[in-house]
Amino acid sequence: MGKSDAGIKVEGLTKIFGEGESEVRVLENASFEVKEGEFAALIAPSGAGKTTLLMMIGCVLKPTAGKIWLGNDLVWNEKEWVIKDLRKIRREKIGFIFQAHYLIPFLTVMENVTIVPQTIGWSKERYEKKATELLEYFDIADKKDFLPSQLSGGQNQRVAIARALANEPKIVLADEPTAALDMERAVNVVKMLKKITVERNVAIIMVTHDERLLPYCDKILSIENRKVITKEVEETKII
Amino acid sequence: MINLAYKDISHSLGKFVITAMGVGMLLGIVLIMIGVYRGMIADAKTLLKDVGADIWIVQKDTLGPFAQSSRIHEDLKDTLRVNPFIDKTAALTFQNLQIKTPSGKMVRVYGVGYDPFEKLIPLNPEKLVKGRTIQKDHYEIVVSEKLGFELQDKIKLGRNVYTVVGITENTVSSGGDLLIYLSLKDAQEIQFLYSNERIRNDRARGITNKNSHLVNCVVATLKNETDANEAKRYIERWKHKSVYTSKEQEEILTKNVIERASKQIGMFTIILIVVSNIIIALIIYTMTLEKIKEISIMKLIGLPNGTIIKMIVEETLILGILAFIFANIFSHLIYDKFPKRVILTPSDALTLFAVIISASVAASFFGVYKAIKADPTSAIGG
Repeated sequence: MGKSDAGIKVEGLTKIFGEGESEVRVLENASFEVKEGEFAALIAPSGAGKTTLLMMIGCVLKPTAGKIWLGNDLVWNEKEWVIKDLRKIRREKIGFIFQAHYLIPFLTVMENVTIVPQTIGWSKERYEKKATELLEYFDIADKKDFLPSQLSGGQNQRVAIARALANEPKIVLADEPTAALDMERAVNVVKMLKKITVERNVAIIMVTHDERLLPYCDKILSIENRKVITKEVEETKII
Repeated sequence: MINLAYKDISHSLGKFVITAMGVGMLLGIVLIMIGVYRGMIADAKTLLKDVGADIWIVQKDTLGPFAQSSRIHEDLKDTLRVNPFIDKTAALTFQNLQIKTPSGKMVRVYGVGYDPFEKLIPLNPEKLVKGRTIQKDHYEIVVSEKLGFELQDKIKLGRNVYTVVGITENTVSSGGDLLIYLSLKDAQEIQFLYSNERIRNDRARGITNKNSHLVNCVVATLKNETDANEAKRYIERWKHKSVYTSKEQEEILTKNVIERASKQIGMFTIILIVVSNIIIALIIYTMTLEKIKEISIMKLIGLPNGTIIKMIVEETLILGILAFIFANIFSHLIYDKFPKRVILTPSDALTLFAVIISASVAASFFGVYKAIKADPTSAIGG
């Protein structure tokens, strides 16, 4: 396979932990693609390697073999990272959303959302405008000077999503962002992610255990026997 | 760019300030210890400076009067005075005494006896805060203000009662005991004159004519352009005494008399500085460990190491500076409560500041190392 125009492209990805008798094979020869503007769900039983896969795509964990493209850039090529400054890739190309909000507790909502754009070197005017737009979009603009400890769980999760999008990433990796939410709120978050996918042309992979959320996705990536199987959702729910 | 150190400190300001206060109190004790050391050195030289002599003449083969017992005849001062190179002379006595303060407490003092009619006297008039110097041969006394006496108070010493005619400040012996000043005659009586019973006993043993015209040393100032070492050699040869220049006397005091005590204080100070630095290092390390999750998140979302290191080092520096400020406040609040003189100097404070800041920055490397090693995936527990 050659150069990719997809948001995320993975080819022959393998991850093995340990060596010899303690060797654990998590993924073997996994290949899939999530294009920009596509919302993919990643499902698998616990311990099957969902987070591991997400962390490899997010340039946090080293794969054992295979290739990873983010946008048009080949970032992992069989045995090594092609791009050495992985944190630069993370802050400029990727947005992370987790099960818990993982906001920095001593920063306000506005500071949490703008910290990555500030690090990239955006002008104050640009990052403030972007953050305000996102906070308004998620209906928490009035809480911009609050600390995470002063917000509810749902509000914090929305701030976390706003933070993930503040650097205008083309890739969003969401690790069970709805696990701690009730169904109504979970559906709202997923709808929000779906909306972002469409409106901002972002490639999103969302790890989930909840099959009720799958209809909102464009495709389902499932890990079975260490392989990733891609399945298109026939009737995606329209937001 | 957001100042993460400022934000983190503001978020837990109380805890940070209390930590800085704790470290500051520890550093304050270090400053006090350095002050005690300085005070000890200064005390050792106080009397020497107040006497202002160029040479000290003592009993042959002794280091007296501060390091060894020394007794010489009082009239040596007159014999010496006729020498063309001698300007002024004075005979002095030194002795430890116990006196009862107005509060009823028995306090050890160091009594200095001098002839009030000589031109060279060991009482520095600049240190008189009340009253006057001794102007009579008998029954007058000048005391240190810390003893709590007022002018005209009566003090019983030996057989006689003395009237306080002057009060001094910052007058202490090399051992840190407060000074009292007596006329030479009174001081000789207290030191050399035995009780009536002892005199009768001595007579029965055939010991008579007990001479009380002894002193512990004779001091002298030299005329201009006289070399102190030449004067020393001359007196040693012809008068059969040991003679020390003021510089030698200072060395005897600082090396022979207080050396071990000052070394002990010095050692204790060094240990305290080392312990303080270890505590600062542990605090910085613990502060970093407490933030390790946030640091992992920062790394995960792509913040560079430089941003994280800057936060840790800045917090360390702010802690060091705050602790230093608290140390100065604390030490200045308590230093005069110590029984012995404590001298706090800006140069010592600045040296300690440099040591603490260097040590803090070095200590922050533990935290920085931990932060660099932090696994971004630990932020999400997977």
